[in-house]
Amino acid sequence: MIHYNIFSPYSSSREGLFLRRAHASLSCLSLRVAALLNLAKIAIGCSAKAAALVLLFLVLLFPCVACGDVSVSIKLDRKEATLVDSVQLVVSVSGSRSSDLQPIVRGLEGFNVTQGGTASRLEIINGKVNAGVDYTYFIQPKQPGRFQIGPAEVTVEGKTFSSNTATITIIKQPQASGVDRGPLFLSAGLSPTRAYVEEQPTYTARLYRQVKVSDISLDLPETEHLVFKQLGKPLEYQSVLDGKTYQVLEVRYALVPSQEGLYTIGPTRMTMTVYQPRRRTSPGLFDDPFFSDPFFSFSTGRPMTLASEPQALTVLPLPETGRPADFSGLVGRFDVESKLEPTTIKAGESATLTVLLSGRGNVNRIPNWQGPELSHTKVYADEPVLKVETDAEGLAGTKTMKWALVPEKQGYYEIPPLSVSFFDTTTHQYRVIKTQPLSLSVLRGEPGMLQASSQRADEHPSEGPGKKAVKELGRDILPVHTSAKDLAAGYRIRPGHVLSWLVLMVPPFLYGATFWGLRFRKKSDQSIAVIKARKAAKKLIQKCRKGKISSSELALSLRDYLNERFDLALGSLTPDEGAAILRSKGVSLKTAQRFQSVLHRLEDAVYTGKGHERCDSLEEVPKLIKQIQKEMR
Amino acid sequence: MRRFIWLAPMTLLAFLLVANGLGAENQQSEALFFRANEAYKEGRFQEAVDGYSQLIQSGHETGHLFYNLGNAYFRLNQIGWAILNYERARLLMPRDADLNFNLRYARDQTQDAVPESQGVMNAAFFWLDTFNLHELFWGFAVFNVVFWAILMTRLLIRPAWIFYPILVVLILWFIAGFSLGLKWYQVHSDERGVIVQEEISVLAGPDINDTVLFKLHAGTEVCHERSEDGWSLVSLPDKKRGWVKQEAVERINGTEKGANFSGVI
Repeated sequence: MIHYNIFSPYSSSREGLFLRRAHASLSCLSLRVAALLNLAKIAIGCSAKAAALVLLFLVLLFPCVACGDVSVSIKLDRKEATLVDSVQLVVSVSGSRSSDLQPIVRGLEGFNVTQGGTASRLEIINGKVNAGVDYTYFIQPKQPGRFQIGPAEVTVEGKTFSSNTATITIIKQPQASGVDRGPLFLSAGLSPTRAYVEEQPTYTARLYRQVKVSDISLDLPETEHLVFKQLGKPLEYQSVLDGKTYQVLEVRYALVPSQEGLYTIGPTRMTMTVYQPRRRTSPGLFDDPFFSDPFFSFSTGRPMTLASEPQALTVLPLPETGRPADFSGLVGRFDVESKLEPTTIKAGESATLTVLLSGRGNVNRIPNWQGPELSHTKVYADEPVLKVETDAEGLAGTKTMKWALVPEKQGYYEIPPLSVSFFDTTTHQYRVIKTQPLSLSVLRGEPGMLQASSQRADEHPSEGPGKKAVKELGRDILPVHTSAKDLAAGYRIRPGHVLSWLVLMVPPFLYGATFWGLRFRKKSDQSIAVIKARKAAKKLIQKCRKGKISSSELALSLRDYLNERFDLALGSLTPDEGAAILRSKGVSLKTAQRFQSVLHRLEDAVYTGKGHERCDSLEEVPKLIKQIQKEMR
Repeated sequence: MRRFIWLAPMTLLAFLLVANGLGAENQQSEALFFRANEAYKEGRFQEAVDGYSQLIQSGHETGHLFYNLGNAYFRLNQIGWAILNYERARLLMPRDADLNFNLRYARDQTQDAVPESQGVMNAAFFWLDTFNLHELFWGFAVFNVVFWAILMTRLLIRPAWIFYPILVVLILWFIAGFSLGLKWYQVHSDERGVIVQEEISVLAGPDINDTVLFKLHAGTEVCHERSEDGWSLVSLPDKKRGWVKQEAVERINGTEKGANFSGVI
């Protein structure tokens, strides 16, 4: 079951209804004032007092600024009523918060009119100020028939403004059924009961009540191949049935059958909380209708579910006879208009062709027309715009399609009419409607204009509303490659070829060569040092063996030995330094101390004036040098 | 010395003769290429096929020629041969937009719905399909030079910053080398084949009297497992296997009309 929440608690009496409206207006006004205060506070960022001053200034200013664009409209709370019903008529004036005189409403000769009050409006929506005043009337018909009410005329600052018109059908009061259905019941109706596929008969659910109710929700029956679409907001009015006055809540739906057949629409169920007022023994202060509202009444509520009677619907298939070959599937009543602006242009400039297809019925199926095919003219389609609205009579909509026409040559262009077929539910026949043929005069264009305009369209296809997915119109392979370069494979070293291995091996080979070269060089350096050391030792030993060397010469020879052996550049050498050098080069402590001792003795000889005499240590030095050489290996 | 002076003009003359010979051969090839193009343009597709095939056989095994040959076969409504040559062209120029478009379009024209198989290695080394073996070889060669150059820099000057560059280049060198090896293996073990006959029966064994297992149509790509006595054992990615006449299937990396691509790419 489809479940709908309708609205919140409200009272049942007519006075209560007026009072509630007044409350609504007051609460609306208070909300608007609060909103304006907030707006002013935000705008100037200061205290509430300052904001109130600003608000006062704004309110005083509005009547002046709002007079510029005045419009008048009239609205009835229903399209159909009985002779005993009271219908609400509202004349709304926008753009002014007051009028010079009361509105004059035409077409009310067949009605008794009671004034219902005046309410002024002040709204700020998205920074735009909208002021207005609503004049409410209650009209009661004197005779049955179809009446056109309006236009209403309002005079503001000496100027007279007219409104639209509204139509209402008055029927006789239905005969008394003889069945007392009590103070609360639900009724459903279907009109018409025979319809074509995709026609939209109206299903109406009415709650008649004489008691207070709240928390109303509606469960619609579910039927295969039938879709309910709500038409407008729920209506609320007063009506008389079987001599009793009821407050009526009316909800209307368009039924959309997608398949032919006989349908039984199950009962609609309405769930609510019903309030039974407690009887008071004597009238008092709280008998005022204001306190009839559930909020103030001390009645107790109980939940209740009402069910309407089932309805039968016969859905007929669309007739085969007379069906156009290009039948669009539209069912209802439709009309088409077209216009071309401007009708005279220069070659390369663009004119806009606009087609409006509007009507009532299954407007969602209004097709997208292809643009007109004109020779020497580029046609750029705009994205079609579909506007769908619902009102008491059903679904209505308009699809607007636009094309930019850019003629390439001067001349006179006839734009052929565009046509669409539909099934007319009023005449039960297929109809074809066409646009008027239009003509476009194209003058000689300025040089380069066509090219420029064409380029604009080609270069920026994503700009503008006409962007569409690229449609594939055909498929084929791409052509052969014909350049002579395509014949040459280029110079290729084939992987696996000797040359390719060479390319890969050269870098590691170079690295290897460098590595081994460096290593060889290092080894060579070490070898030279060893040879030099051997030479130095040999030289010293030979000097000692000759036996003619003095102490000072021997000291110098030992220094030279160390210099050459360890690649040093010492100018002089103390015994301690000599021992330290030998220790640092890995010679044992004992040998180093022997070297130190020999040097000490030689120094002593030099410093005691015996430096020129033959040295005593000549036999010891070669052994010492050999020992050093041995330990250094 | 004087008696050898005639060697210089003789060498020059020999060089000119060789160069002239090569130039004349190139001119002949170009003339044949333009004739084939002209034949294609004028709708003489069989003539175009002959021309492009002749060029390929004469050593001009370029991707563009295989592509053109595929186009000419496509125009002759020989969808199997067209796909075969597109696939051969794809081994040589895998990123060519025209080729990939035409191959996709030609595959759309085939009758058999065969699931595509993609191995784990192909998914991991997704770029292998984007480059041919030649390009991967040169890519690796470049990384190889950079790798050894940076190692040599380390050997000679030992800068402190060189560790991370070595690490990065080593990883790239390894990936490039592995890709090259994998591509090499793929190319040399490419057993894919294309059905070139309009409709063939796949049999349970290499005998005309064996049971017909299923039918395949021109353009379907199969895996060629082995050949025996004029029959080829083929398999599909969904594990269907069977024997077909050897002339019904052409290996992409095969030796059709003398072409062997493993050495070219």
